[in-house]
Amino acid sequence: MLSRIAESFFWIGRYVERAEATARLLAEHHQLLVEDRTVNEDVACAVLLDALSMPHVDVNTGTALVRALVGGPTEPATITGSVTAARENARAIRDALSGDVFEALNATHLALTRGTAFAASPGVALYRVLDRLLVVHGVIEWTMSRDEGYLFLALGRSLERIDMTARMLCVRHDQLWPQSGPVATLRAAGALSAFLRTRNPLQGNAVRAFLVVDGTFPRSMRVAAHDAEEAVRGLERAGSTDGGDLLREVGMLRSLLEYTVDPGPAEIDGLAEHAQVAIERASDVVSSGFFRQAGTIVWSH
Amino acid sequence: MTAVTEPGIVPTPAGPPRPYDEMYQAAPDGTPGPVRPAHDALARALDGIGPDDLAERANLRDAYLDRQGITFTLSGRERPLPLDLVPRIITAEEWRRVESGVAQRIRALEAFLADIYGPGEVLADGIVPRRLVTSSTHFHRDAWGIAPPNGVRIHIAGIDLIRDERGEFLVLEDNLRNPSGVSYVLENRRTLAHVIPEVFGGHRVRPVDAYPERLLEALQAAAPAGIDDPTIAVLTPGVHNAAHYEHAFLARRMGVELVEGRDLFCRDDQVWLRTTNGPQPVHVIYRRIDDEFLDPVHFRPDSLLGVPGLLNAARAGRVTIANAVGNGVADDKAVYPYVPDLIAYYLDEAPILPNVTTYNLQDPDQLAHVLDRLDRMVIKPTDGSGGYGLIIGSRATEIELAAAAKRITADPRNWIAQPIVTFSTCPTAVDGGRLVPRHVDLRPFAVNDGEHIFVLPGGLTRVALPEGSLVVNSSQGGGSKDTWVLEDDALPGGRPVPAPVPRVERVSASVVARAHAPVPLDERLRQQEGQQQQQGDPAEGSSRC
Repeated sequence: MLSRIAESFFWIGRYVERAEATARLLAEHHQLLVEDRTVNEDVACAVLLDALSMPHVDVNTGTALVRALVGGPTEPATITGSVTAARENARAIRDALSGDVFEALNATHLALTRGTAFAASPGVALYRVLDRLLVVHGVIEWTMSRDEGYLFLALGRSLERIDMTARMLCVRHDQLWPQSGPVATLRAAGALSAFLRTRNPLQGNAVRAFLVVDGTFPRSMRVAAHDAEEAVRGLERAGSTDGGDLLREVGMLRSLLEYTVDPGPAEIDGLAEHAQVAIERASDVVSSGFFRQAGTIVWSH
Repeated sequence: MTAVTEPGIVPTPAGPPRPYDEMYQAAPDGTPGPVRPAHDALARALDGIGPDDLAERANLRDAYLDRQGITFTLSGRERPLPLDLVPRIITAEEWRRVESGVAQRIRALEAFLADIYGPGEVLADGIVPRRLVTSSTHFHRDAWGIAPPNGVRIHIAGIDLIRDERGEFLVLEDNLRNPSGVSYVLENRRTLAHVIPEVFGGHRVRPVDAYPERLLEALQAAAPAGIDDPTIAVLTPGVHNAAHYEHAFLARRMGVELVEGRDLFCRDDQVWLRTTNGPQPVHVIYRRIDDEFLDPVHFRPDSLLGVPGLLNAARAGRVTIANAVGNGVADDKAVYPYVPDLIAYYLDEAPILPNVTTYNLQDPDQLAHVLDRLDRMVIKPTDGSGGYGLIIGSRATEIELAAAAKRITADPRNWIAQPIVTFSTCPTAVDGGRLVPRHVDLRPFAVNDGEHIFVLPGGLTRVALPEGSLVVNSSQGGGSKDTWVLEDDALPGGRPVPAPVPRVERVSASVVARAHAPVPLDERLRQQEGQQQQQGDPAEGSSRC
């Protein structure tokens, strides 16, 4: 597979996941801001923006927070920016994609950039965006052959999922809103029903530990790391290999999460931080190993 | 109980008393006056939104409720419970009274139930006539002598309140069997924050999200002796029941199984779940099925919803049924007039929340008094619920009144009469975003874990949507409102201040590290791509398909 095309697949996976996770997290965070005003709005805004590595100049109300994170097409950490970037990547490799995937991404991009996704209320708008992104996910799963392209996309998606879950854990809803925070964290991860069935106590640490080490929930960091490793092994079987660097990065993270039992609050903080560093490294390794191999002669002007 | 004196409401030539408006103070001439202080911010927010936008929000609300499937079933059809966009506000001070009054009432009714299904002292002492209890359709001799593990029979209660012309809360009725509607309390809050966040501005509203946890704790506390980690199930009649949405909601939010009668069986006085791993014991059953259908061995033999042997297992102390079998005696409308006496008898306290004046039609004097004033009375069947069988005197025709008089004279045990109380009103958004006053009641929900009675701050406000209507039951076309209990800012440290949020040292993941520019940023490349002439392609563009 062409490096350029592989790279686009990888980033489509990352951006679609990022847009969805950001929209979910923002929707729940905004709901808490509205319902429970025990936390100062500017503090609540700063915490979320911090977790998402976004600047927080002049963002000190719920409305401004939504505006900042829905963002515009040129800001890759925002929802609109992520969707636009995914769509641009898809446009560049339309021939390698199923038509349905491009169409679903394109429709989402148009809805966001033309403002048709917007309603009178932020919560409603974010729901509409989420709906569209779920369609994108579904179409990817049902129309793409499990070839190298899909595996690169799945790899990007899993790495981004770990990163976003780690960032969500840094928001500490449970400390900001002791009563409704844990439920909001679970909702933001789409994990409320899954968690409640485990019969764990509905309190901050149990919720955060679940999102790190649960072995059956698809958005837990542990399961996502396992999925990432499977994608790398699949690529190796298909003949795309970098000599093992990427497998080592991803495998180390997976085994760390695999063998962590009952992490306490401080350990969860450590794991969340470690995971973000590991994902950044893994992403660099994918880049250097598959997309920009050394030794390529570059024409310089 | 002594004979009741003249009812409190005597229509004057100026017409019936004006209802208490919860948002506006009354001006001397009867028009709405200034906004009450607690409603200031809300009134401003609603003004800011305006009627057109409010109508648009109503569409968003309907779409959201439809999508979530937040429904109740009426005549076999699923419908969303109509939710009004204007919340109802209760101040911290008003709520303190409601909270303590509801808890007091439940403590007295718990004692009453323990008494009549046990020693019967209240009957021996003549506080409540024995015949009144034994003639209640909800008094089950089969339940006599069953002692609940932690002494609790009313695990969940819904006490219906109204506010009279002075704004005082009165108890309209008690619901101690299967009080329904708490799921809408939680969903209404979420829906409002979702579609109309502006109204929350400037308020600190007490959250309601803790209810499923409190309920789960109460059910765990009610487990049979020696069971530390009980298996709990919610028993539903099935998907065709009006409140099925709520049954599923509570099971999901507690993380317990939602079961139907056919999923359970009893063997050796133990209740078992039929699972793919074979039978699994179940210890606490939060049932949403009426007593009559619960156990064909003791009650209706033709019931397809119940579990044969369930009551025997409860008597053997191997399973807890919540709420207990036979609670209906205590919420029988003929027992209702005696509740203030029960509070005095068991607790030696004065009732915090008074009853509505109620006439005992088995007393000839009171019956005569009621028959004289039938057009100013509400007549209710004692074992009815859901607003069925109500007769509102002022709305009935002569023929209907004559028929009602005949019916209550023939069977006075099964009817009560109350003077018409004018419920309070709240502004309600009707078609096109207009705000009009509509009558409301309030059903606070309380959970008893044997140690404490937790009263959910707020509860379900039901609103009679047709103009002038006094019937709020959802089965009769009533809607609901999100009910806000304001935080108590009067108390120092009314809520613990959240601990400072630890600022996790962030990885230096700048925006750039999370980004990737798929399209080459080199502007020259972009230009050159665009300059290539595509023969026969009129469109300019850089598509490389």
